[in-house]
Amino acid sequence: MMNNRDTEFWAKVNARLAGENGPQLWRSLEELAGTPEAQRLMEAEFPDLARPDLVDRRTLLRVMAASLALAGCNPSHPPLYSRPEGVPGHLRGRSIYFATTLELGGYGRGVVVDTHDGRPIRIDGNPLHPASLGAMDVFGQAEILSLYDPDRSRSPLENGLERDWETVKLFLASVRADLLGSRGRGVHILSEPLTSPTTIMLAEAVRTAYPEVAWHEYSPILDDYERVGAAMAFGRPVETVLDLTRADVVLSLGANLFLETPGHIRYAADFTARKRQGWETGGRPRLYVAETSPSITGASATERIILHPSEFEPFARAVLAHLTGQIRAEASHPAVAAVALALQAGSRGLVAVGRSQTPVVHAIAHAINAALGAPGQTLRYIDPISPWQKPRVESLIELTEAIAAGSVSHLLILGGNPAYDAPAGLNFGDMIRRVPLSFHLSTHFDETSVACRWHLPRRHPLESWGDLRAFDGTVGLRQPTTMPLVDALTPDELLGALATGTVPDGRELVRSYWRTRWADGFEDRWLKVLETGVVPGTASEPLDLRLREDWDPGPTPTPNPAGVTVTFTADPSVWDGRFANNGWLQELPRPLTKIVWGNAALIAPVTAEALGFEAGDIAELRAGELTLRAPVWPHPGQAPGTVTLQLGYGRWAAGRVGNLVGFNAYSLRPAQQPWAVDGVQIASTGEKQRLISTQNHHWIDGNEIIRTTSERDLAVTREAADLPSLYPEYPYVSYAWAMAIDLDACIGCNACVIACQSENNIPVIGPDEAARGRIMHWLRVDRYYSGEPSDPETYFQPVPCMHCEKAPCEVVCPVNATVHSSEGLNDMVYNRCIGTRTCSNNCPYKVRRFNWFDYSGGELNTVTAQANPEVTIRPRGVMEKCTYCVQRISSARIEARLENRLIRDGEVETACQSACPTRAIIFGDSNDPTTLVSRLRESPRNYALLGELNTQPRTTYLARVESSGSPVSPRPVNVEGE
Amino acid sequence: MAHETQASAAPIADVPLSPSFGWGWTIALLLSGILVVLLAYALIMLLLVGTGLWGTNIPFVWGFDLINYAWWIGIANGATLVASILVLRKHDLRTAVNRFAEAVSLFGVICAGIFPIFHLGKPWLFYWVFPLPYTFEVWPQFRSSLTWDFWAISTHAIMTAMLWYTGLIPDLATLRDRAATHRCRKVFGFFALGWRGSARHWAYHQTAYRIIAILMLPLILVMQSVVSLEHAVMLPPGWHQSSQPLYYIASGLAQGIAAVLLIAVLLRRLLGLERYIDDGDVQLMAKLVASSGLIIAYVYTSWILLSLLSSDAVRAATVARLNGTYAAFFWSSLVLMALVPQLLWIPRIRNSFWGTVLVALAAIVGVWLDRFSIMIGGLEKRYLPWGYDLYWPTTPEWFLLAGTAGLFTGQLLLFARYLPVVSMYETRHDEHLVEGR
Repeated sequence: MMNNRDTEFWAKVNARLAGENGPQLWRSLEELAGTPEAQRLMEAEFPDLARPDLVDRRTLLRVMAASLALAGCNPSHPPLYSRPEGVPGHLRGRSIYFATTLELGGYGRGVVVDTHDGRPIRIDGNPLHPASLGAMDVFGQAEILSLYDPDRSRSPLENGLERDWETVKLFLASVRADLLGSRGRGVHILSEPLTSPTTIMLAEAVRTAYPEVAWHEYSPILDDYERVGAAMAFGRPVETVLDLTRADVVLSLGANLFLETPGHIRYAADFTARKRQGWETGGRPRLYVAETSPSITGASATERIILHPSEFEPFARAVLAHLTGQIRAEASHPAVAAVALALQAGSRGLVAVGRSQTPVVHAIAHAINAALGAPGQTLRYIDPISPWQKPRVESLIELTEAIAAGSVSHLLILGGNPAYDAPAGLNFGDMIRRVPLSFHLSTHFDETSVACRWHLPRRHPLESWGDLRAFDGTVGLRQPTTMPLVDALTPDELLGALATGTVPDGRELVRSYWRTRWADGFEDRWLKVLETGVVPGTASEPLDLRLREDWDPGPTPTPNPAGVTVTFTADPSVWDGRFANNGWLQELPRPLTKIVWGNAALIAPVTAEALGFEAGDIAELRAGELTLRAPVWPHPGQAPGTVTLQLGYGRWAAGRVGNLVGFNAYSLRPAQQPWAVDGVQIASTGEKQRLISTQNHHWIDGNEIIRTTSERDLAVTREAADLPSLYPEYPYVSYAWAMAIDLDACIGCNACVIACQSENNIPVIGPDEAARGRIMHWLRVDRYYSGEPSDPETYFQPVPCMHCEKAPCEVVCPVNATVHSSEGLNDMVYNRCIGTRTCSNNCPYKVRRFNWFDYSGGELNTVTAQANPEVTIRPRGVMEKCTYCVQRISSARIEARLENRLIRDGEVETACQSACPTRAIIFGDSNDPTTLVSRLRESPRNYALLGELNTQPRTTYLARVESSGSPVSPRPVNVEGE
Repeated sequence: MAHETQASAAPIADVPLSPSFGWGWTIALLLSGILVVLLAYALIMLLLVGTGLWGTNIPFVWGFDLINYAWWIGIANGATLVASILVLRKHDLRTAVNRFAEAVSLFGVICAGIFPIFHLGKPWLFYWVFPLPYTFEVWPQFRSSLTWDFWAISTHAIMTAMLWYTGLIPDLATLRDRAATHRCRKVFGFFALGWRGSARHWAYHQTAYRIIAILMLPLILVMQSVVSLEHAVMLPPGWHQSSQPLYYIASGLAQGIAAVLLIAVLLRRLLGLERYIDDGDVQLMAKLVASSGLIIAYVYTSWILLSLLSSDAVRAATVARLNGTYAAFFWSSLVLMALVPQLLWIPRIRNSFWGTVLVALAAIVGVWLDRFSIMIGGLEKRYLPWGYDLYWPTTPEWFLLAGTAGLFTGQLLLFARYLPVVSMYETRHDEHLVEGR
């Protein structure tokens, strides 16, 4: 019962919090407790809490509870503000799931965010979203860590000095008044590619309010060539959406379909589905990948064709010529005939082109696709997701020129980090400093923020409202999954404020856009979309396009300058640098090099040998006036005479995690040739740098670890089923969990590794510890090569704990800290472990990880709010390892018992399984012969890793199926100049 | 008891009873004291910060901790073996070397005993390997070689202490009788357990002493074997060999005898005990060291040959140990513990102070390198190639090695200072025998 004093108190709290100006936000419970208002109110109400000498655990909990209560008093932002409407009540300790959309390169990927007591703790794919189908890539999953990044900027800054939002607002209002008078003359806005319908609407509103404002778009992962190429072929920019479920033969010209394309998760899923379908219909799809630097797509290819960047155009032309029957006499690449034959023979083929290929290659590919009859069959053309028309790099150059000419008075940079990631020749950071009044909206006080006069904190996507279009045009809704942790704005809100003069509510902005789209039943549809995260029926309509007669500008003369050709790629971990401050991603072994905490100049082993380089030797690259020092990494399968650099490293204002990791490849990137630079001089500096790779180059010989089968005969050789054992068999009355990993489906994308890290509170240990061989991942993806280093076959093998039936670790632990469970799991009892590490010695799979230091309490793991409350945080000195996500099994068991039934097949999904785009990981009860995992274990492809040791692993592998094809050898390229 | 105070035992007894001991001793003790401080520092840091201070990782989870452990245990076992055999055989030599062979053994066990505790991730929970009836009713895993190891080392420590102490009782009585001060007499008297030197006492004493000595023999073999089982029962192909105990016994024996020889030569020179530890004793021990070197050479040759005939994995692991990153450890250990001791067959080297000291040191160092080679080199090749960093020791690990060496030396110095290093009653006994003829 509330007495008078209580009522008075709460009224006071409400009044104070409601009376605050600006977005009313709290960053953390502790901070909220620390704000003067809250502090004062709390002292009045809970006097003993205010005494600092009394802070024990119990007190702390009470402070937290009080803070929560105070947070709940804010009338304009109720605590359940971000709860999706329509989801019934919130239960403490139970997960609530929010469907929202995350962005990569402007394209949306639908996710489901698991929140516990108001804290988002985990991100999975949204099964209803076409770009995800329930799986999620490493970037999307790692956003949860970025949300809690302690280095996020917390307040507006003017020239590096803190300002409160009130000051900012007053200042902006005065600026706005000036600009309205001048119709926006001199105002330039630089944004990242816009694909959000709401943002585009707001951008229009801004343009209406200030007709003379100049808009620019830039993203370092440029798709300019794709647009220009489409314009060549069709007279208009289009985007290509592939349907890999229907393709029999796929030729990729430098397209990293499974990692870098906007639809990469979906493409990986579709291609694997098509492969599986091939079991039934006979005939698996053929994937030919022509590429300069090895990619995971190339690793999954039927045939990998190694091409120098200058060879793509002749190669594509030769394929086209074969298909159209105009075989030219001149020598073409030896693989051309085979590829063309396959494309011709397959009734359903397609060609996909990477964004780094020149416009002509894109145009030729459109012509090949037309010749194959691919449009409408295996691919469709759609209007570009982003309505932006001209090449973005030109847009950035225009802005630079305008600044140089002194015609820019105001520069508003909406997100992005151009001072860091603009091409080197533009000196964009210095250019920004010339602008009298510049603003940067960003989650971090980064390189661009430093250059700008004003820095405004930006809300993290998981705190924001919005909408985003996916690779196929489908709109996904974005909604907050938490109370904002930082007092910040979204780009939408900033644009809205610019247009209308008041800071609008982000939610209202999105609703106002969709109100215009949904004439009737708005509220019902809104609730439905909030729940599913996807706006139905928004996928782009396929376009019916005809190839222009004059599409072909004729062969480009092949430049042959001395030196090597440098190509750039988005990094598989930090992308363009935006994830540089994310510890999970920095410590994630890159799929092929397995390098962590840094990047390297990838170079063909033969080129490295010719130039006298070994791994870690620092080379100096010189392209015109641009120079770069980078450690060299001989990369099996790299095209000779080329050097591939990953973008996104060498940042100096990324934050505590990402600062000064690796080298900045942008500093060698010219604006005119953003993807490949010819004639780069490479010289040794004689210095060395240690590159941390979690796997040496392992070459397999024989057929033991990675087993393969042929399409004709699927059976692998297996060990005798019953090797003798001294120990009795375990009886299983209920479940006997098991996992099957399909090596034919695994593409090595690492999604499972981050999923495991996120689910199981696996600490980040930092580069020094990682270099000492102490990486903590419970699940690793082993990469093996076979064949010649110049053109190897690449294999991936995810290795979690095998949960051996006769586990060698169990018998050697003197204190019984690792034991067999009644359901067959090999359980690790953390509070029993005294850290002898004997179990690791006896584990032939080396999947056990040891807490050499207090990693979880270390400086890289300060964010306990993100931790999964279902999983113990391991202290120093204990062993840990994969548990088969035992917490998920337990909750499923409880659920099943409540309903008085057994756990259904598929009800328990391990974290790695749920993230996997290709469904390569299957988990279930092997005691029930009808489950999928039991049936897979009966597959002729099924084998146990190191089965000859009779450990009887519960994790088994399905052999990779090798498609037969004639070998294609790389064309020798001379390395000249050095 | 007047008849006991023979002149011949006086130099031995004078040592512990004299008020000053010279500056050399003080400096030596100071140096070992510094090393012990280093050890304490390394251990305290270990407790505060974590096992990560070492160069260990996955898959090389054990480093100097277990290398040093196996090495010190080897010294202890070898020395005990020497002592026990001498007691049982009533060999002349026992007069001279028994007492400090037992001491070397005991101090070796003490040094070794540090490691099984501090190598743990949570050293403060070391007692969880004891079979205590905890309330949560979890027993140790009796199938674990580490549990066996716990039993072996605790038995070893108790038995070695008993052997050493039992042998010491009559001499403690002598010291009591000669003590100049009242307090000294009290202390020695307490530990002499009321020894009066009656015929009955002597009879019981000899029986007890010999029973303990005979028990030590199998125990030493068991102890060395159990240490080796930490490798032999494990899966890594470089470790998993049923003949591992043999290598450990052969090399441990050599190492122990070499340690006893080294200390005998040093004590003899430094304390002027040439009369009690005579040339014959030294020569005999030197020949034992050389012979055990031959045994090592034989055992290791057979290991290499058999491994190369073994399964692919074992062969690959053996080749990695002989020819991999850590090959130098293997080959130098083989040279130092098998070949160099052969020099002792040459009388000139055997008879020279520096010759014996250097060769004995070489054998001891050689066995340490061998332990490194097994512990680390034996893991270089595994069933799965995963594991991307090698093992190299860090400074705190060197502190552990130097620190335990300091602890060992310090104990020896204190022993030499305060207790009779050579058995007085045995010496007298021998002299009686000579007179009797």
